[in-house]
Amino acid sequence: MRRKLLTLAAFAAGSAMLLSGCAPSAPAGTGADSSDSADDVTLKVWSWRTEDIEKYNSIFDVYEKENPGVTVEFEAFQNTEYNQILTTGLAGSDGPDIPMVRAYGQLQPNIVAGQLEPIDGKVDGLDEIAPSVIAGAVGKEDGKTYAVPLATQTLQMFYNKDIFKENDLEVPTTWKEFVAVNETLLANDVTPIALGAKDDWILPIFADIIGSGRYGGSEFEKKVLDGSATFEDPDYVASLQLVEDMKKYMTPDVVGVSYTDSQIQFTSGQAAQFPGGSFEIATFSTQAPDMNIGSYQVPLPPKAVAEAPVTPAYADGNFAINSKSPNKEAAFKLLNWFATPEFGQLVADDLNQFSAVPGVEYSDKVMAEAWDNYEKSKAPYLLLVNFRYGEPLGTAVLGQQVQKMLLGEQDAAGAASTLQTGISQWFTPTK
Amino acid sequence: MASITPVLPTEADRILEEPRLDARPPKRRRGFSLKDATASTLLWVYALISIAPLVLMVSNSFRTTQEMASNPIGFPIAPTFSSYQKAWVTASFETYFVNSIVVTVASVVLSTVVSLLAAYAFARTKSKLFAAIEALFLSGLMLPVYLAILPLFFLLDSLGMISNLWSLILVYGALGIPFSTFVLASFFRQLPIELDEAARLDGAGSFTTFFRVHLPLVRPAIATVVVFRFVPVWNDFFYPLILIRDQNAYTLPVGITRFFGEYQTDWATLFAGLTLATIPLVVLFLLATKQIVSGLTAGMSK
Amino acid sequence: MSVTNTRRSRHIGITLSKRTGLVFILPALILFTVFVLYPLLTALSYSFFNWTGIVRGDFSVLDNYVTLFTKLPYRDQVPNAFFHNVLLFVGAMVFQNTVGLGLAVLLHRLKRFKRFFQTIFTLPYLVSPLVVGYLWSLMLSPLFGPVNFILKAVGLEEFAQPWLGNPATAIWVVVFVTAWQWVGFPVLLYGAALGGIPQEIEEAASLDGASSWQRFREVTFPLLTPAIGTVSVLTFIGAMEAFAIPYALGGSQGSPAGATDVLSLLFYRTAFESGASNAIGTSSAIATLLFVFIFGVAVFITWFMRKAERKLY
Repeated sequence: MRRKLLTLAAFAAGSAMLLSGCAPSAPAGTGADSSDSADDVTLKVWSWRTEDIEKYNSIFDVYEKENPGVTVEFEAFQNTEYNQILTTGLAGSDGPDIPMVRAYGQLQPNIVAGQLEPIDGKVDGLDEIAPSVIAGAVGKEDGKTYAVPLATQTLQMFYNKDIFKENDLEVPTTWKEFVAVNETLLANDVTPIALGAKDDWILPIFADIIGSGRYGGSEFEKKVLDGSATFEDPDYVASLQLVEDMKKYMTPDVVGVSYTDSQIQFTSGQAAQFPGGSFEIATFSTQAPDMNIGSYQVPLPPKAVAEAPVTPAYADGNFAINSKSPNKEAAFKLLNWFATPEFGQLVADDLNQFSAVPGVEYSDKVMAEAWDNYEKSKAPYLLLVNFRYGEPLGTAVLGQQVQKMLLGEQDAAGAASTLQTGISQWFTPTK
Repeated sequence: MASITPVLPTEADRILEEPRLDARPPKRRRGFSLKDATASTLLWVYALISIAPLVLMVSNSFRTTQEMASNPIGFPIAPTFSSYQKAWVTASFETYFVNSIVVTVASVVLSTVVSLLAAYAFARTKSKLFAAIEALFLSGLMLPVYLAILPLFFLLDSLGMISNLWSLILVYGALGIPFSTFVLASFFRQLPIELDEAARLDGAGSFTTFFRVHLPLVRPAIATVVVFRFVPVWNDFFYPLILIRDQNAYTLPVGITRFFGEYQTDWATLFAGLTLATIPLVVLFLLATKQIVSGLTAGMSK
Repeated sequence: MSVTNTRRSRHIGITLSKRTGLVFILPALILFTVFVLYPLLTALSYSFFNWTGIVRGDFSVLDNYVTLFTKLPYRDQVPNAFFHNVLLFVGAMVFQNTVGLGLAVLLHRLKRFKRFFQTIFTLPYLVSPLVVGYLWSLMLSPLFGPVNFILKAVGLEEFAQPWLGNPATAIWVVVFVTAWQWVGFPVLLYGAALGGIPQEIEEAASLDGASSWQRFREVTFPLLTPAIGTVSVLTFIGAMEAFAIPYALGGSQGSPAGATDVLSLLFYRTAFESGASNAIGTSSAIATLLFVFIFGVAVFITWFMRKAERKLY
C-alpha cells in the first residue's frame, strides 16, 4: 500500500514537472534589467520584407556602430504569413521589440488591443513627415500616433525601355496612344501587360493605376468619405470597366498567373509593361540588374474626372514599439533614428524605397522618375488608405471581384455594387 | 489535419475481438487470360499515376532550374547536388530537420509511454469511471481538436513555452493519447487474465506484472503505435505554424512554407527541399512496412 | 461464469484496484486534460463573448454565430467554404470507392507483385500533405509545369490550362490531389477485408452459378460494409479538417476568388490574418460549429454503420 502511494506521488510529481519544467525557459529578450543598463541591449525587429534581409542588416550595422552596446536583430517573415505572425507575436510573449506594422486600417486592431506604445512627443522629426503619410500610423479612435512611417509607395506603370525601342514605341501621353502601344505590342507578339491576377491583392492596385484618373482620385475620395458619392457612382464603375478592357493585353488566362510569375514575365523580357508599386523597383533591380526600366502615369481615358494623370500612393511599413517590450528606452532611440534624414537616405539608397522622411535625394533614375511623376499629381490608393478599417476590407472585396471580372463571371457594375455593400457594413460617411 | 488517421472503434473493435479465419491466398487461376492482362495493365497505370509525381520530385531535384524551364520532364543527365547543398545549408533545412526529429521522437515516446500505462489500466479494471475516461479519450479521435488552437496558444504562452520545441512535444504527446490508448487497450484486452493471476501467485505486484509480463507481449502493438504517431507528427504543419515564430525552432513543414516564399523561382532547390522532407518517411516505410500495413488495417489482416 | 462463455468475459478482468488504476491513468489524463480538453472547452466559451483583440469583452450570447450567417464576408464565405468541404468529401468518397476499391479487388486476385503495388499505392499517403500540395502546385504551374507539358506533347493542347488559376478547375485539383494522396488507405483496408472473406463463401456462390458481378454485389460487397464504414468516417473527418493541401495549392485566401477555400482556412484567416478586432470571437464560433458538426456526423456514421452491420450478420 505504501509503495503504491509512493508511486502515485512519484507520478504526480513527474507529470507536474513535465508541465512546469519548461516554464522558466522564456524566450530571449525578456531577460530583466536590460532597460537600466543601456549598454547591452538586443532589439528584435520584425518585418515582412524577406527580400531585404541583407540590406536591413547592413543598415542596422550603421546604427550599431553609432550606438555601441546595441544589437539589432532583424527577422523577416513571409509577407503572406506576416499578419498571423504579428497577431500571435504581439499577443504572446515572444514578440519583437520593434515590429514593422501595417498602415491605416490594418494597424487599428493592434492599437485597440493595446499592443503598441504611443509615440507622440517622444520621437523628434515626426512633425517633419507629411500628414498624409503619418495618417497611416494614427489610431482612428484616439488620434495618437503609434509608429514611424517607413516609406511611401507610389503606384504606376513600369515599362521595359528596350522593348519599347525595339517596337518603335514612345511613352503614351494620351489614352489613344496608350491603347495604340498595347495594340502594337500585341501585334508584335509581346505580352503588353504582366499581371499576376492569381494573387488578388495586386488587383485593386492595378485598378487604381488604370482608373484613378477616371474616377477622379482625391476629389472622389472626399465625396465617398462625406457620403455624397458611393462606389456605385458611374465614374467609379467606368474606372472598373477599364480594368476589364485591359484584359486582352494580359497573358491569356491571367487569373492563373501568380504575382511572382508575372514578375518573371516582366524581368525576363516576355512582357513589356508591369503595373505595380514602387516596392517593385528593388525587386526588379536584383532580379534583372541590366534591364532598362522606366515608369509612367497611365494617361487619362475619355471622360476622365481628373484633369491630369495621377500617381496613386500610400504610406507603407510602419515601425512601432511593442508595449510588452522590456527595452523601450532603446527602442525609442532606434525609432528616433528611423525619423532622421540619415536613415531616410539609407532607405532610399539601400532599400530603393521612397523614404517617409523629407529631404531625401533619389539618385536611382527609375526612382527619381517615379518620384517626380508622383510630386506632379498625387492621388490616394483609395481602398487601402480609407477602406481597411473594418471587415470586410475594401481591398479584399475588390480584389476578388476583379478576379471574377477577369474570369468573365462579373461585370464592372456588379463589382462596384458588391464593393459598396461590403464596405457599407462598417463604413458610415462623415459629413 | 493528420495525414494518417487511425482506424476507428467500429471496425477494429470487432475485428480485434472476434477470431477471424486466416486470409488465404486467392484462388489460383489457370493460364493467362485477357482479364489478367487488363487487370495488371490497370494496376501498372495507376502505379504510374501514384508514383510519377514523387519520382519527378526526386529526379528534378538533381537538375537545374534552367533545364526544367526548357524541358519540365527529363532525366538528370548531369546530376547536380548543388540544390541539396543550398536547401540544407542556405535554406536552414539542417535546423528544421533536427527540430523535426527532436519533436517527433520526444512526443511519440511521451504519448506511447503514458498511453501504455493508461491502456493497461483500461484493460484491467472495471468501473464506470475508467470506462468514462476511456470514452473521453476515444472521442478525441473524432474531434477536430486543432480548432482549439487559440486557448492552447494562450495557455502555452502563459507557461512560457511559445516558440519553443517543448510546446510541440507536449501538444503532440497529448494528441497521441486517443489513438495510442485505443490500439494498446485492444491488445492488452487480448492478453488472457490468467497471466495476471499466475504473476500474482508468484508474488509480483501490479507494476512488476505490467513491466515484466505484459509489456513484452504487446511489443507489436507498440511498434504500430510508434509508427502511426510518427507520420502525422512529422507531417503536421498547423501547430508549428501558429505556435512557433522563432525560425530556429521551425520544424520541416513550416520551414518548407517559409522556403517556398523565399525560393519561389528556384525550382531545383524547391524540389530538393521537398525531397529532403520526404526521405525520413520513405525510410520509415521501408523499415516498417509490416507495421504500417497492419496498423492501417488495425488487425484486420491478422 | 462458464468456461465456454465468450472471449469477452475472459478478457475483461479486474486485476487492478481502483487506486492503482488511477496511478496508471494519471499521466495520460493530466496531459490530455491540459492540452486537449481544457483548450477545447475554453474555445467553446470564447465563442460566446465579444472580443477586442485579446481582451475579452461582454458576454454576447449568440452574436458571433449570428455574424457568421448575416455579415459580410462571412455570410458568403461560410457556405462557400462548407460547400468545398462537402465536395472534397464526396469526391474523395467516390474516388476511394471506385478507384480504391477497384484496385483492391484487382490486387486481391493478383499472384505476384502484390506487396510491390501496395507499397507504391501507399507511398503518397505517407508524404506530408503540405509537400503533396506544393509538389502538385509545381506540377500544374502554367509556366513550366510538367502536366501541361505532357498534354501538349501528346497533342491534347486544348486541355492544357492554368489548372489552379481557373476557379472551375481549381477546386477539382484540390479534390483530385486529396483523393490521390488518400487512395492507398482504402486499397489496404479493402484488401485486408477481402482477404478476410472466407474462400468457401465465394466458392459456394460460384457453384450456385452466380456471375462474377453477382458474386461481388451479393457476397463480397456486403462483407465489405464494415470497411466501407471505416473509410467513410475517416474520409469525412479528413475532408472536413482539410487544411494543408488547400493551403499549399491556393494559399490561405483560397485563391482564385475563393474557389479553393475550405472551413479550416476560413477559421485560420479569421483567427490570425483578418486583423478584425473581434477575430477571437468570430473564429471561435466557426470552430464550435465545426466541432459540433464533425463530431455529430462522425458519431452518426459510426452508429449507422454498426446498425447496417448488425443487419447483415
